[in-house]
Amino acid sequence: MEKHMAVCPYCGTGCKLNLLVEGGKVVGAEPLNGVTNEGELCLKGYFGYDFINDTKILTPRLRNPMLRRSRDAAFEAVSWDEAIQYAATKLSAIKAKYGPDSIMTTGSSRGTGNETNYVMQKFTRAVLGTNNVDNCARVCHGPSVAGLQVTLGNGAMSNSIPEIEHTKCVLVFGYNVADSHPVIAKRIIKAKERGAKIIVCDPRKIETARLADLWLPLNNGSNMALVNAFANVLINEGLYDKEYVANHTEGFDEYKAIVDKYTPEYAEAITGLPAEDIREAMRIYAAAPSATILWGMGVTQWGQGVDVVKGLSGLALLTGNLGRPNVGVGPVRGQNNVQGSCDMGVLPTEFPGYQKVTDPEVRAKFAKAWGVESLPDQIGFRLTDVPHLAETGKLKAMYVMGEDPAQTEPDLALVRKGFEAMEFVIVQDIFMTKTAMFADLILPATSWGEHEGVFSAADRSFQRFTKAVDAKGDVKHDWEIISLLATAMGYPMHYDNTKQIWDELRELCPIFYGVTYEKMEGLGAVPWPCRDLDSAGSKYLYEGNVFQRPGGKGLLFATEWRPPRDQLTEEFPLILCTVREVGHYSCRSMTGNCAALQTLADEPGYVTINPKDAKALGIRDQELVWVSSRRGKVISRASVTDRTNKGAVYMTYQWWIGACNELTIHAVDPIAKTPEYKYAAVRVEAIADQVWAENHVQQEYAKLKGGLSNAVARATKKAPAYA
Amino acid sequence: MNRFVTANPSKCIGCRTCEVACALAHSDGAGVEGLAPDTFKPRIRMVRTADVSTAVMCHHCEDAPCVNACPNNAIVYRQNSVQVEQERCLGCKNCVLACPFGVMDVVTVPAVRQFAGMTMSLGVKAQAHKCDLCVGRDAGPACVSVCPTNALTLMDREAMDETLRRRRERAALEAAEVAA
Ligand code: SF4
Ligand code: SF4
Ligand code: SF4
Repeated sequence: MEKHMAVCPYCGTGCKLNLLVEGGKVVGAEPLNGVTNEGELCLKGYFGYDFINDTKILTPRLRNPMLRRSRDAAFEAVSWDEAIQYAATKLSAIKAKYGPDSIMTTGSSRGTGNETNYVMQKFTRAVLGTNNVDNCARVCHGPSVAGLQVTLGNGAMSNSIPEIEHTKCVLVFGYNVADSHPVIAKRIIKAKERGAKIIVCDPRKIETARLADLWLPLNNGSNMALVNAFANVLINEGLYDKEYVANHTEGFDEYKAIVDKYTPEYAEAITGLPAEDIREAMRIYAAAPSATILWGMGVTQWGQGVDVVKGLSGLALLTGNLGRPNVGVGPVRGQNNVQGSCDMGVLPTEFPGYQKVTDPEVRAKFAKAWGVESLPDQIGFRLTDVPHLAETGKLKAMYVMGEDPAQTEPDLALVRKGFEAMEFVIVQDIFMTKTAMFADLILPATSWGEHEGVFSAADRSFQRFTKAVDAKGDVKHDWEIISLLATAMGYPMHYDNTKQIWDELRELCPIFYGVTYEKMEGLGAVPWPCRDLDSAGSKYLYEGNVFQRPGGKGLLFATEWRPPRDQLTEEFPLILCTVREVGHYSCRSMTGNCAALQTLADEPGYVTINPKDAKALGIRDQELVWVSSRRGKVISRASVTDRTNKGAVYMTYQWWIGACNELTIHAVDPIAKTPEYKYAAVRVEAIADQVWAENHVQQEYAKLKGGLSNAVARATKKAPAYA
Repeated sequence: MNRFVTANPSKCIGCRTCEVACALAHSDGAGVEGLAPDTFKPRIRMVRTADVSTAVMCHHCEDAPCVNACPNNAIVYRQNSVQVEQERCLGCKNCVLACPFGVMDVVTVPAVRQFAGMTMSLGVKAQAHKCDLCVGRDAGPACVSVCPTNALTLMDREAMDETLRRRRERAALEAAEVAA
């Protein structure tokens, strides 16, 4: 049996593991003693590898480039030469006719790795000539990046994952760590065993709430009010660190003026929390010699996400919990490499290494290195703008790599219209996906396990992963495909391997310069910033309390609470909040093709509901129900549980039948453009004929699965030469 | 003393990694790809209520109700544990009803017989189905080795003595505090 070192492709914890290979097939995974996982893996890490082997449980792997010459034609398998030539001709024509800004690309925060993302943004900027490149951070931790960049100067986790177990207080805010990052949950449990106090702010009784010293079940949509009230208590009870605030922060007076109104009693009406609990939480937090704030999508997926992020960083600033070990602020990244795609400049605002596209010196540096006369200086489009831009004719072509927006974006009906309105869509993936069904051209790539590269864990650590098996079929590495396309469009691009790409980007990014492949050999993890070849990187940021802002001080920022956008009415009386579950990941194209994970949970997925609400609606546990909003209607299975708060229901977002994003609203944060996935007004209805409903689910599921696999099967049958 | 696996509810996060590991450890080498919803029968189950998440499985009792209830002596004490002799199991379910923890189940599996190099189907065979402590697995209990939060421990005499020693120490300290 061979063993090949890899980094888990499922979450930002970045667990190191060995893939066990027999006869060219991955047959198992075993944990390695990586820096962040120390010999542990979770459900997905252990049992989430068989998608590589093309199990076809949900969707088939792609094996050939596939093209359809008109939208009503079927896909046909074509050669790489033809596929690349076709794409180059189409993109060049669209660029000539409508200008470079009519084209948009995406990076991928998943299995492909940092090198591919670097190459994708280089292609977008140097070859297409636009900054229209973005990644799914837009729909998750975009607000964390935007918020923290303003208040502290750096959008990433301030401290490392291993430090969590040495902190004396963990404030968990809108972050279901047990389901999102099980191996980080272990760190929190360890911290508790070492005497740390755990405070959890979440409307649901999530696993961590069960383990917490204090659980604050705030009303859905009241985050800002609670954070302001926290600040109010810290200031009015004199719990804050006056010296720290005087020396290392600015904006205190304006900040104080805004939070003054948010006394715990005032916040009680908005949050539904007893004023005394709000006080108690801050007394615990302020008293701890070291304290860490961790948050997730419960903070960011709101119309007011950026403001709340800024507010949370304010709590750390007020108490001096930054700039040293075992403290800090932690927006814990969901997808395994979403930190990486941001690091690599797959953002409309930034080049790799967080260098602004609006800075002429930076542009000149990249233009010189990439051998082009100039680079675009206008900030590009955001992913969440796409449906609207396509419908209004501003966006004509889209090159989607390793993402499935037709499953993961809000208000899917709107997304589909957007895709239909575009002239040319390329989807590059390892699986046939719902998004690929909208493509004109499908480009098949190698999967995690079939290529090597570098990922960024949530705590900024770069780690290498290696190839375990050879890819089957006529597929290429993502970065090779992009290079071929660039060359065909008149910009010769060629790399021999990922190391060559890595070394090119290292030279261009001062904060990554010291992170060499050699340093990341084996179990090596190097957290950026790492500016020198002899540096081991930075476990924590803001050493000496110097913040990465002009003047070096942290900014205290508060703003008024705004209620959520969607309105509860008699017709739509319940709040729908979208969440995730431990066994499935993202759009499910990977986990849905893993036998173990699919065995534990399958369509149509669950809508969890409080027993009181269920009773009033005549709904029993495990029954199928209708869930509808102003935007759509789907069928789901009720899970009646006390862990769900009254008045709200929760659905996970990876299901095709129970697709909660048919219901969610396209209301975005004004700055980060992140959608308000956490609050849509819905109605839940019992279904009298359960037998009909069960059949309906099975039929619809079979139809969707069949549609995707037939599209692939038909194409490959037509052209066996390329099979 | 019989060995057994115990779960700590203050560490369990309800992730069900243990369930999959258990099913795989008893899959006769079929591997993950052999798992499917209708045949998924782990011998450990994660239970989630309003306030608790934890895993439950066989306690390998010293005076086991299932052993006492079996009319055909199919359940025996072996290797410091409670084991089922599957050939003797009748599928009568007395043990299922006797077990106070709800961790004994009776399942049916396809029965086959090898005869002159041919595999013959004999319909179905009942099996009393519960944790066998993964006896025969070199690395020990599969569930214990995968739990990401180390919520599971294998209790043998030594581990039990250590736990008792720590409890007594704590009791002594608490008593001293009360006295002071
Ligand atoms: S915690 Fe995250 S990185 Fe680790 S094994 Fe689980 S999914 Fe993979
Ligand atoms: S693997 Fe551990 S944490 Fe997960 S359900 Fe089992 S006992 Fe609980
Ligand atoms: S010890 Fe083995 S048989 Fe028993 S519950 Fe754990 S994995 Fe299953």
